[in-house]
Amino acid sequence: MMSLSEIGRRVAMLLRRPKFDREMDEEMRLHLELREKEQEASGVSAEEAHASARKNFGNALALREASHDSWGWTWLEHLSQDLRFAFRMLRKSPGFTATAVLTLALGIGANTAIFSIVDAVFLRPLPYPNANRIYVIDRTGNRIGGSSISPAIFAVWQRQSASMFDHFALFRATGSVKLTGPDEPQLVPSAGASTEFFPALGVQPALGRNFRPEEGRPGGSHVAILSDSFWRSHFGGDPNILGRHITLDGQPFTIVGILPPGFVWPIWSAVTPQIWLAVQVPLTSDNPSNGGRLAVGLLKRGVSAAQAEAALTPSLEDLRHEFPKMFSRGERAHLVPVRTFVKQSAGTALLLLLGAVAMVLLLACANVANLTLARSATRQREMAIRNAIGAKHARLVRQLLTESIVLALIGGAIGIIVCYAVFGSILSLIPADIPHIGGYKIDAAVLVFTSVLSVITGVIFGLAPAIGASRVDLNSSLKEAAAQIGAAGGRIRSVLASVELAISLILLIGAALAVQSLTGLMRTPAGFDPSNVLTFQVSLSGERYGTAEKRSDFFRQAIERFSSLPGVDAAGITDTLPTLNEGSDVLFAMESEFGAQGGTQAHDADIRVISPDYFRALRVPLLSGRILNPADNASSAPVVVINQAMAKAFWPGQDPVGHRIWIGKPMGPASAEPAPRQIVGIVANMRQDSLAYPPSPSMYIPYEQTRYTDSEYFVLRTKHQPLLSVPDVRAALHALDPEIPLTQISTMREVVSSSLKDWRFHATLLGIFGALALIIAAIGVYGVISYSIAQRTHEIGIRMALGAQRGDVLRLVIGQGMRLALAGIVIGVLAAIGLTRLMASLLYGVTPTDPATFIGVAMALAAVALLACYVPARRAIRVDPMEALRYE
Amino acid sequence: MPRDEIPPGTLHLLILKTLARRGELHGYQIARTIQQNSEDVLQVEEGSLYPALQRMLLKGWVKAHWGTTDENRRARFYRLTPAGRKQLQLEQSQFERVVRAITRVIQTA
Repeated sequence: MMSLSEIGRRVAMLLRRPKFDREMDEEMRLHLELREKEQEASGVSAEEAHASARKNFGNALALREASHDSWGWTWLEHLSQDLRFAFRMLRKSPGFTATAVLTLALGIGANTAIFSIVDAVFLRPLPYPNANRIYVIDRTGNRIGGSSISPAIFAVWQRQSASMFDHFALFRATGSVKLTGPDEPQLVPSAGASTEFFPALGVQPALGRNFRPEEGRPGGSHVAILSDSFWRSHFGGDPNILGRHITLDGQPFTIVGILPPGFVWPIWSAVTPQIWLAVQVPLTSDNPSNGGRLAVGLLKRGVSAAQAEAALTPSLEDLRHEFPKMFSRGERAHLVPVRTFVKQSAGTALLLLLGAVAMVLLLACANVANLTLARSATRQREMAIRNAIGAKHARLVRQLLTESIVLALIGGAIGIIVCYAVFGSILSLIPADIPHIGGYKIDAAVLVFTSVLSVITGVIFGLAPAIGASRVDLNSSLKEAAAQIGAAGGRIRSVLASVELAISLILLIGAALAVQSLTGLMRTPAGFDPSNVLTFQVSLSGERYGTAEKRSDFFRQAIERFSSLPGVDAAGITDTLPTLNEGSDVLFAMESEFGAQGGTQAHDADIRVISPDYFRALRVPLLSGRILNPADNASSAPVVVINQAMAKAFWPGQDPVGHRIWIGKPMGPASAEPAPRQIVGIVANMRQDSLAYPPSPSMYIPYEQTRYTDSEYFVLRTKHQPLLSVPDVRAALHALDPEIPLTQISTMREVVSSSLKDWRFHATLLGIFGALALIIAAIGVYGVISYSIAQRTHEIGIRMALGAQRGDVLRLVIGQGMRLALAGIVIGVLAAIGLTRLMASLLYGVTPTDPATFIGVAMALAAVALLACYVPARRAIRVDPMEALRYE
Repeated sequence: MPRDEIPPGTLHLLILKTLARRGELHGYQIARTIQQNSEDVLQVEEGSLYPALQRMLLKGWVKAHWGTTDENRRARFYRLTPAGRKQLQLEQSQFERVVRAITRVIQTA
């Protein structure tokens, strides 16, 4: 072990090298002089004394170095020498340096960008003190309804939780609340949490306090905790905010706390919640429906997740006896660490991209290794000379490796700059529903990753060439011309070029499959006409819209006003827009089953609340019967329109018009609608959940015959560009109620397009990586061929002197390149067949091994390889035989 | 009279012992003392003294300061530290053990 004082002495030493040398010299000089004097005194001649003193002393310079080496700083000095030398060498060959740095910058930059995403999703530690004990509690095995934790389940579990959890809480997914006040009304992202939520995470409000237990019970006072950013943006960071009232959904809430600045909650928060409200959990079990909630708990030390699951599961069985329609037999409580929950929801797409981008980097490495190999052939003489004058093998390897790492670090630095430059556009591609911890950013962790990656990259592409180049046969290298030595390296380089082509083929096939899926989806008939349709959301809340009648009145008037606007052809409403995968399922009974009490069979279909003109606005054709009309209101007979898929699924070969269904009936009297509905019409299918899913059985009920109308989207067919109607629409809406915010304004085309965001994300990034790969591989092939031509100038000269035609030479050179390309393509196709299977879940309308894609991409790559050969080959046929022969 | 190279690894021991016996010495004096005390049998490659001294400085076994010789020349003088004294005991007992062992082997063989 090195003692502290020893380290101190070493460092002091490092700082005064010149003085050290001076003192050593002086000390040794004195020694020699004294020795001489002594010899002379014993009668030896002056010269002899001088010579003998020196002989006995040894090599003063070497001894000074050895003295210096004792202090253990040799490595540092060698490093600085190597660095200086590396920079000099790189400056001397700017072409090589620029190509290598650029290639590496692209590879490392792309990796940095993807890493910053992966970091936020998979790696960044959760900012909670006991993150490893925080679990999300869900239930599994439910085959009837949703699977989330209702307040009823929570209330039961909460009573049992004290023995297993330090804190046990419920949270509600992010939704939005309407904030009204002096400013324009606005919808603010908001989430709900029960009293113990923040304590479970170990988070203390930075200002104010947490929710109190009485605020978490029905009828408790209305309180809100704000996020730090909302507090700053909306209230200017006012320190006297506590106790102030804000109006949310028409009700007054008291602000009791401000969360600390870095607070994040990654689950079910596509948008960061700005206002946290107390979830009011009833103390007794009532209707256990209600989705969008999960429990979260801080497990006690020493209690395992399995123990907690075992303890919580039996109450699900008890609840099943109480509410047989809401629970399935064999349901279990399921504990998942928060971190795992986040990872699971992120899915395979990110890992796929990570794999793809790693391949790009590998490709960059192969390419730079290739360049380095080419250069090392020309530097063979230099290495031989250095070796001959005493440089050790290891020292040469180290020096060459230093050059590689310097190259890679420069590449990495430029890569980071590139990444910064394009980061904004990458972020805009990331689907919002990928959960992440505290946002995507290029932070210290990312920079450390990039630096380490750069060094590793440098070692990977530098090691083989360095070892190869430093192991030189002195004799032959010094005698022979550089051209002949390169031959052995040439084989490795051809293999590398083939591998590069193979990797880029894999990436290109992946990209082509993803792009085909995207374009396939964009061409998929949606079943409705999205052109010239304006959509926006209107949410009704508060006393003014407290009943279904009041809401119906509002929507009826709004629809009338909008329909009569000059630019609008038809105005309808719907609770969920098509293609956004926001629909909800409901259980229903068919007419023949109405009588049965216990054993009613549960059928399940998508349900949407609409107004009569919804279908007209989207131009969805009616196939049979009639569509809804304004007479279908609260006082008329309950009706429903179904789609073709539902007709086919439940009334195969019959006309369902006139039949009756009873919505909610299988869930028991509490959840069932008061009366059955008569099917009055069948409309054509449309792709409502997503363009990627085939239409599912769906039913449409009139908005005046249900109470689920708090929030509806308007769908307006316009005569002109839809957004031109926005001012008219806004004016008409505010004439009805100036307090209602107009949100989510968009055209239907944009809605459909945004539903493809994930697909576009994969396709764009894979496309970019594929293009990068293609460029890098093309440079690689070009480099190998043009280098080999440069080496074979002599041979080509002889061939031409002996009568070879230009075509022969062209065939010779291109043949060499194409052999290499063919090998790469064969390897690439085989590897791709194995690998594209991994992305099967990300494809639409094309199989992972689609022959047309494989053949097309392979041919395109062959064409690029051909071009990359042809350019240097043309130089070969311009060789003047006389020149070439003299060249040696 | 034949001269022998000093056995490897014993240079530190010789320097430490010399300094222990004679107090403060400069490099040349150390070399001279070793030669004289070994009756000129042990031959140090004199220069190798200096890397060894640097090593010992680093280890904290000796301390150095610049002073003047009797002839009024600037010279670096070396002196044993307590750590050096301890090291001397250690190396000396180690050396004696090895020598005893070797002697035994040679005599019984």
